Amino acid sequence: MDYVFTILILIGLFVILASSFDLVIGHCGLISIAHPIFYAIGAYISAMLSKQSGMPVPLSILCGGVGALLASALVAVPALRVSGDYLLIASIGFQLGLIELAKHFHEIGGAGGLTNIPSFLIKDFGRESYVVLVLALAALTVLFIRWLTQGPYGRMMTAMRDDELAFSMLGRNAIWVKVAVFAIGSGIAGIAGGLYAHYFRFLEPDQFGLLQSSAVLTMVVVGGMRTTMGPVIGAIVLQLMPQVITFFNLPPSILGPLQGLLFTGLVLFFMFVRPQGLLPAADLWVGRKQQGDAGQSAKEARS
Amino acid sequence: MFEFAVVSQILWTSFATSSYFVLFAVAFALVLKVNKVFNFAQAGVMTCGFYAAYVGVRVLNLPGYAGFMLGIGGGVAMSFVLEYYGFAVLRQRKASAMFVFIFTLIASQFIAYAVMMIFGTWPTTIFASMFWPVTMVGGIAVSAWDVPAIAATVVVLTALWAFLKYSRNGQFMLAVADNADLAELYGIQKDRILMLSMVLAGVIVSIGMFLYGTRAQVQAAAATELMLFAVAATILGGIGNIWGAAIAAVVLGVVQNSSILFIPSAWQGFLLFAFLFFAIVLFPSGFRLPERRNTLKRLAVAPQALSDGKGH
Repeated sequence: MDYVFTILILIGLFVILASSFDLVIGHCGLISIAHPIFYAIGAYISAMLSKQSGMPVPLSILCGGVGALLASALVAVPALRVSGDYLLIASIGFQLGLIELAKHFHEIGGAGGLTNIPSFLIKDFGRESYVVLVLALAALTVLFIRWLTQGPYGRMMTAMRDDELAFSMLGRNAIWVKVAVFAIGSGIAGIAGGLYAHYFRFLEPDQFGLLQSSAVLTMVVVGGMRTTMGPVIGAIVLQLMPQVITFFNLPPSILGPLQGLLFTGLVLFFMFVRPQGLLPAADLWVGRKQQGDAGQSAKEARS
Repeated sequence: MFEFAVVSQILWTSFATSSYFVLFAVAFALVLKVNKVFNFAQAGVMTCGFYAAYVGVRVLNLPGYAGFMLGIGGGVAMSFVLEYYGFAVLRQRKASAMFVFIFTLIASQFIAYAVMMIFGTWPTTIFASMFWPVTMVGGIAVSAWDVPAIAATVVVLTALWAFLKYSRNGQFMLAVADNADLAELYGIQKDRILMLSMVLAGVIVSIGMFLYGTRAQVQAAAATELMLFAVAATILGGIGNIWGAAIAAVVLGVVQNSSILFIPSAWQGFLLFAFLFFAIVLFPSGFRLPERRNTLKRLAVAPQALSDGKGH
């Protein structure tokens, strides 16, 4: 049963990660694949605060989220000042550089990893309580992103993504919108990182590298970008699929590359065969008149 | 530590090892200039180039030159596949820049994982031994690898310069780099030129990987870090400036390798990411030298024009 609980927790965590990543890459159109590093920042901050200073776990998880949010702004502000393309390179440099840095800091476990992270809820209420917490937070994240993207802020993001020049001509500051969305997405990933740290109680820098980036990107691309349920479906499918491979009892030296091959292969397959993903995004912000015209022409075509 | 002999030895070794960095940077800058793509899939081409040479020399027991040719063949084949089945299709579909970015990243990762599945995750080299005989020249130890590596890099750069300047296809490449649509109007086959630029980059990085693989151990994921070095050099050299990228690669290579004088060797790897980050933050347009004044000089004003004050 513990195995099932762990899978459910992983699904919940990846729903949070994939949905927040979709907010950044899909809804806002910001090219970055370094989302897992903000997950890592949240995880490490939360683990260290609760372990070293005895801070209550919920508060340390929140601090992890805030830490990830601030770190993302640190990357995004200078990179976006230049061009959107630079964000990708700056964020990859930040991700791999921070992993390299973490490997050399023995205070946070170094390359060997950070162990004995305090657990949360499980001792007093059992594993199922943690499952409920993670799944509830996953549902909250999905609802929050749906609310954000379908409200006025969502309209603003769509306008900026579709035509940044026109958006700026209307007096809006595109850079600050981008930085804000990037920070919100990363902050959510940081909270997911905290939840991960206090369940698995072990963190290793290499867990948050490019394989993790490929996995989260696959979930969004396969599920369907700019949709509420796409990343959720992507996270569920792509969390269950590697579990099937584990039943083959392959050695770890094959298992890791095989999972990576599957993730990246699926992204390539979907990019060329079904770029819209399993759930294609609807044009949310087509004007009413336009929608009415489209409906009218469809009726005319049918008749 | 800072004795003349030590410093000059480190500087020489750093200069020699920057030879392959120059090739990676030049190839990256060339594709960025002509194809207008941040080609992160170059890491995949580099991986293929190295493992093709490895198979030739270590598995098939072919002589070094045959392994070298096989390496170039591997790199060129992967470049062709990426351009023909990837970039060309995405261009045809008018895919967004984000989509192309994701493709390059994922393609390089896919190739790395495929290679890991075939060859494992252990690092390896093209030749069984990485040690080269050393000759003392004026108190500096010059290995038998250093001079051929520097010579190969100089030959490649000279050939590329001559190709771009004097060959018809090279000039077409510059025309496409300047304005692809206009070049097409003048009858240049854009797709053929874009393929040529990818293949040329494939040749250059394969030579670079052969040099690298005869001196250091390589594993399937290593090419990503090497390529990030090329990205940093391309940005510092000024986007669209192939030779600027080459100079930046030499400077970065020397700085990274000679950093051992100031910081523990364990931190050398971290420097690359620091370069990358600070290149973007501080020098997003690269180091720019003052531009030469090529404009026409103002002619002396005619006395008549001066007299009526209006110039006519």
